[in-house]
Amino acid sequence: MSRNKILFGIGVLAFVSVIVTVRLGGFLVDNEYRQPDRQAAAEEALGQAELTPRQQGIADEQAADEAEARALPYEEAEYRSVPFVGSRVTVWVLAQLHLLFAAFVLAVPLFAFIIEFIGYVKKEERYNKLAYEFTKLLSVSFSMTATFGAFLTFGLIILYPKFTNYLMHIFSPTFLPYVLLFFLEALFLYSYYYGWGKFGPKVHLFLGFMLNIVGTAIMFIANAWLTFMMSPGKREDVDGDGVPDFVSAVSESGALLSLRDAFFNFTWMPINIHRIIANVAFGGSIAAAYAAFRYLRAKTDEEKAHFDWMGYIGNFVAIIAFLPLPFAGYYLASEIYAYSQTMGIQMMGSTFSWLFVIQAALIGNLFLGANYYLWLGMGRIEGTVHFQKFIKWLLIAIALCFAVWATPRYAIASVSEIAAMGGNSHPQLAVLGQMSAKNTAVNILILSTYMSFLLYRRTGRLSLHPQKQLLTRAQAIVFSAAAALVIFFGIYGYQVDAATRVRFAIPQVYSVLAAMAVITIIDLPLYRNARQEGETHWGKMPAISQYALIFIALSFTWLMGLMGYVRSGLRQEWHVYGVVLDTSPDAYTPSLGFATQVVSVTVLIFFGLLGVVFWLSSLGGKKDYEPKSAAELEGGQAA
Amino acid sequence: MKLTAPMPLKLVALVLGTTAFYMYLGQIVPQKEVHPPPPVLISAEMTTEELIQVGLELANGRGICMDCHNDVRAPGFDGIGSRAGARIEGMSDIEYLAQSLYEPDAFLVPGFAQGMQKMNAPPISFSDDEMKAVIAWLQSQGGTATVTLDTDLGY
Repeated sequence: MSRNKILFGIGVLAFVSVIVTVRLGGFLVDNEYRQPDRQAAAEEALGQAELTPRQQGIADEQAADEAEARALPYEEAEYRSVPFVGSRVTVWVLAQLHLLFAAFVLAVPLFAFIIEFIGYVKKEERYNKLAYEFTKLLSVSFSMTATFGAFLTFGLIILYPKFTNYLMHIFSPTFLPYVLLFFLEALFLYSYYYGWGKFGPKVHLFLGFMLNIVGTAIMFIANAWLTFMMSPGKREDVDGDGVPDFVSAVSESGALLSLRDAFFNFTWMPINIHRIIANVAFGGSIAAAYAAFRYLRAKTDEEKAHFDWMGYIGNFVAIIAFLPLPFAGYYLASEIYAYSQTMGIQMMGSTFSWLFVIQAALIGNLFLGANYYLWLGMGRIEGTVHFQKFIKWLLIAIALCFAVWATPRYAIASVSEIAAMGGNSHPQLAVLGQMSAKNTAVNILILSTYMSFLLYRRTGRLSLHPQKQLLTRAQAIVFSAAAALVIFFGIYGYQVDAATRVRFAIPQVYSVLAAMAVITIIDLPLYRNARQEGETHWGKMPAISQYALIFIALSFTWLMGLMGYVRSGLRQEWHVYGVVLDTSPDAYTPSLGFATQVVSVTVLIFFGLLGVVFWLSSLGGKKDYEPKSAAELEGGQAA
Repeated sequence: MKLTAPMPLKLVALVLGTTAFYMYLGQIVPQKEVHPPPPVLISAEMTTEELIQVGLELANGRGICMDCHNDVRAPGFDGIGSRAGARIEGMSDIEYLAQSLYEPDAFLVPGFAQGMQKMNAPPISFSDDEMKAVIAWLQSQGGTATVTLDTDLGY
């Protein structure tokens, strides 16, 4: 849109605003109560100053209100409500927005630091420039995080005063370290950003390192607060019978028994691990979306090349972190299950089981989007033909795995359909709805995506290693063996009891992780001094690839919102599971339909705000303000 | 004539379309609001027959027993009233069922793993009287309920 059109629009808006304001003012003045014009004169003439009936009425009402207020004893409010949306949704949206910005602010320094370090080791300025470009996003995002953190804190204090007071009672010793760390975070973040090029490289890298350490420590403290609400204690074999016992950090009345157990509670570390990995995946996808946004707006080839590369790196970071994320999620889920089987069953087999079908659709889309972007990316490299023939097979594998993962065990069906099927389950497809099929699908999905990366890495390069054939065959054998193991355990899982079937996930995961590690270790020397057969044309990507990056970021954000709902919803009617009961009108688990509406609204608000962050960050690339010289000013006046 | 939309419009369409799609998925799956189970009142005069009804309510509600006891994750309840007295030698059906509720890991039915939570501990937190009601209902599954509120469960 041209500048003239924007100015015209602003002018029209200003004109309409003035008209509306004048009309509104006129209406209010016309409807204002006025005393009769001659009342004051009449009162003076009569020598009396009696109140009119209206004034008397107002005075009586005020006196009655005051008397009523004085008669009431002081009481602590347990809950307060918010009109229309309710207190739970208000806190839910604020917490989610805070979390999304916080995740981004914690993740970007991590990979900015790594990229800067690579640039320092390789002595290549382009890495330094890229790391700076990522860091430019931090300043505004940090303010957003703090703003929503403040909103959330006030929201909790106002709407859930008693419960917030309880959490403060438990965790008050952690607040001062938190604030001090937050101060240090601001110090390191701004010195890292504004000190770019002004400090020596080692000092600057040290600032980046400290920024990450402090940011992670902040997250660990905040995670203790929220995981305490889920698992206020630990499991330990107290009586020596070999069976872990539940050791609560608080008494039955909620009094603190051990701050250490409250802090280092059962789900604290699984959440820490899951969040670090998820933050990096999410941060990478948002940074890639920023690059895509700038690519689409780029005017020059140089700009396009730069933002194409930035988008590629952002997506690379996101997917590399995303590959182990299902494993971290599995670990978290198994730990929740180990802590409380009741919570575990609510999660996987009862209240929230359908949520995982939506999660499957989201993760499937993420894998498809990431692979699609990689395949399109091969087009920017010369000599891609050798590998293009594999893409269709990878696509088939990914689509099949996606379909298996999204197949529910129990179908959504009408009464007649249920009668025709002989039950809630489809006679054939229900087999795919079981744990064995799901685990197999996700592991093959991860292996296929890894294979896409490998093909992309090889595009346009010819290995000159003397043992090239042998090493390539070794890679193929490792890959095939891992895939065969995953499929074997998937099929064998149907022949064994439930407990054994659940344990089969472990060899499946290890075989995939081991295969990725071994293939990477072989690939590094294999392509170390490879001959570049074709040039990489950064900036020559079709526009749809950039929309794919934005789609990935959107899906990540939505996924985080959905998983936030299940993590929090698992507590059901408890503020602190098994200790502090929620007695508010919202003490129930909302339906998935309602939850997805709230998640959608949150995602839209987040992306609206993200647009502002992107716009403000892009201003950083423009010329700094320079005061006009005397000659320019004189010239302007003369004109 | 080739129609092209400006980039900002495409971006807005992508954001709205993707969000709407995921939200739609959320609307087509089965919807279930889970409310806290209603409080169960047990009066001192309740008969065993009345306890069976209360026990059923507790097992279906706050106890969430049926989520697991389906012969897949945990043993099913069909016929438990007739088997309970024969599970452990020297232990009556009431003693066995009480132990299963207060100390679930003390004895495991072969083929099933440990993991059930103590039913008198949070978050279930059954009172002693509520335990008796659940035992009455369990006894009635293939057997005869004999437990009363005066029965000493030994816990």
